[in-house]
Amino acid sequence: MTAALRVAIAEDSAILRDGLVQLLVDRGFVITGAVAEPGALRSSVAQNPPDVCVIDIRMPPTFTDEGLRLALELRAQYEGLGILLFSQYIETRYAADLLADDAAGIGYLLKDRVADVSDFVEALERVAIGGTALDPEVVTQLIGATRRSDTLSALTSREREVLALMAEGRSNGAIANALVVSEGAVEKHVANIFAKLDLPVSGEDHRRVLAVLRFLES
Amino acid sequence: MTLATEDARPEDQKDSKGVSFAITDEQVDRAKALVQRIVREPFTRRPWMELAFFLVSGGLAGVGLAFIGATMLTGVVLAITFFGLAVLGLSLRGARGLGRWQRDLAHNMLGETIEDPGPFIRRPGFFGWLQSVLRDRVAWRSVAYHAIKVPWTVLGVYVAFSLWWDAIFGILSPIFWHGNGGPNMWGLAQGIFLSNGFGNGPSGFGHNLGLFLLGLIFLFAAPWVMRGFVTVDKILLRALLGPDPIAARVRSLEKARTQTVDASAATLRHIERDLHDGTQAQLVALAMRLGMAKEKLEDPEPDHVDLERVRQLVDEAHRGAKEAIVELRDIARGIHPPALDIGLEGALATLASRSAVPTELNFNVHARPTPAIEAIAYYCVAELLANVAQHAQASRATVSCTQQGMWLRLVVRDDGRGGARLSTVGSTSSGLAGLTDRVRTVDGRLDLVSPPGGPTVVTVDLPLSV
Repeated sequence: MTAALRVAIAEDSAILRDGLVQLLVDRGFVITGAVAEPGALRSSVAQNPPDVCVIDIRMPPTFTDEGLRLALELRAQYEGLGILLFSQYIETRYAADLLADDAAGIGYLLKDRVADVSDFVEALERVAIGGTALDPEVVTQLIGATRRSDTLSALTSREREVLALMAEGRSNGAIANALVVSEGAVEKHVANIFAKLDLPVSGEDHRRVLAVLRFLES
Repeated sequence: MTLATEDARPEDQKDSKGVSFAITDEQVDRAKALVQRIVREPFTRRPWMELAFFLVSGGLAGVGLAFIGATMLTGVVLAITFFGLAVLGLSLRGARGLGRWQRDLAHNMLGETIEDPGPFIRRPGFFGWLQSVLRDRVAWRSVAYHAIKVPWTVLGVYVAFSLWWDAIFGILSPIFWHGNGGPNMWGLAQGIFLSNGFGNGPSGFGHNLGLFLLGLIFLFAAPWVMRGFVTVDKILLRALLGPDPIAARVRSLEKARTQTVDASAATLRHIERDLHDGTQAQLVALAMRLGMAKEKLEDPEPDHVDLERVRQLVDEAHRGAKEAIVELRDIARGIHPPALDIGLEGALATLASRSAVPTELNFNVHARPTPAIEAIAYYCVAELLANVAQHAQASRATVSCTQQGMWLRLVVRDDGRGGARLSTVGSTSSGLAGLTDRVRTVDGRLDLVSPPGGPTVVTVDLPLSV
């Protein structure tokens, strides 16, 4: 195994913070800091830079969107720092803010997802190395709200499944695993989707995510 | 003994006589003061200001009524055209403005402050404006004021001037007591107040003395008669140009409604926060632990399973589940106390027995309050007992809940250190301020008596039904 990934956590609920630390240490991550409020994370990141930050959206002092603003601030300040936003609610608006210009190294997950430890750890690793991890809920909401549904209806149901998984930020390999098909079949679906939606083809996963999301948002 | 009683009796009699004399002295003093006041009154500033007010405001009302009458007539005649409707609207807007002038006059000349009845609220567009104007109760009440005020002024001015006129001529009549001068002079005052017969009577000393005395009486009576007229005018001002009692009630209800809406939004927010920070976080942590345990058990090589660690995780998850249940129960109780289902008495008894400070409950209510009132009463007692436990350093507390007619009276008393306040910032008081708002939403009231050193007594009055 390569060098352990370094994680900083900002979560105001002590139960969850302790649980996360326990879980990540258990999985071989190195915790550079586990704090309860935005200011503490700022100094922790400055002193001991991690590969990825797990940030609760609702934190003191106002318990609204502190985490989101902190995430945008840290991203502007530290190039290549992965950010996984962690929340009990999905607000599509927050996802849009977060993915305004880049999807690389961005994650936005419901807190419930930690229950499936492997999926969660996999998503965190993906974000840490510059990938994307969007909660299925975000993708569902985006697809539900899109004005391009007539274009989407041209897709087969399998293609739509692939589109959703792609939007979550998964690689072809991961999509193939999830759908229990061969990677070659996934590649064919992806090519079909890009052709039907008239999207520019891109090799990198996070660019691909952005292209799909832009399509859904437009 | 006997002697003492014998002695005492005449003493008593003397005393009682003394007392009755004293009362008479007091009455004499009072009568003197009254006479002094009557004699001085015409020479003080007040009656003249009142007379001036009566004339000025009466004159203004006359002009105002002429304006209102003329514009309304024009408006009604032309009502089939837009122009007529506009004139009608302007007439009412004018009536509103005239009402304000009358209030200002009363304020400046009599020192009588009449509250503003509130601003004119117009709807957008010409017809919106017209509709708002035609429904403007303040303007219509001002019209009514002018309609009553003008005849009242005419009557008042007539009476006042007769009195002053007759007073002056009555007093001066002895000076004109040569020959037939008196009766001729009286020609002026004839038919006003002094009877014709009196005025035309034979001149002579008796006749002139009578006139003189009557003039004096009129001189001193005039300010009081004027005051009577002004007092009635003040009542009219208050009733017709002050805030409409119905409008005031509507405003207070609107305020209470706003408070209720805000309070229920705040309550929902509070519940959401409790669920988010408490139960939801607990459940996420619980699912996380179970997820970890599950993955460990699913290890492809069964020999490597760290059973001790799995047991620990399940143990933590178990504990978390139990804590989540307790938290959920507390939150549910915060939304609606299940204890209330068995009635207010049982619910309050539960609260009293659960309180950290020994608490005695005295319950005497025959009618059953409506559920909303019961809930407010319950929260008041819960909050007040929590305050007693947290801040009062009390050794005992009593809760009394009694029915007084159509009202429910809650009294929570403790023997603590006192010094509680309603409106300061900080944890000690914010709860009480919140309770006050809550109680006010149903037209109830909360009174706090808490001198430093105690005891603290909080009295809450709630209507039995809203």
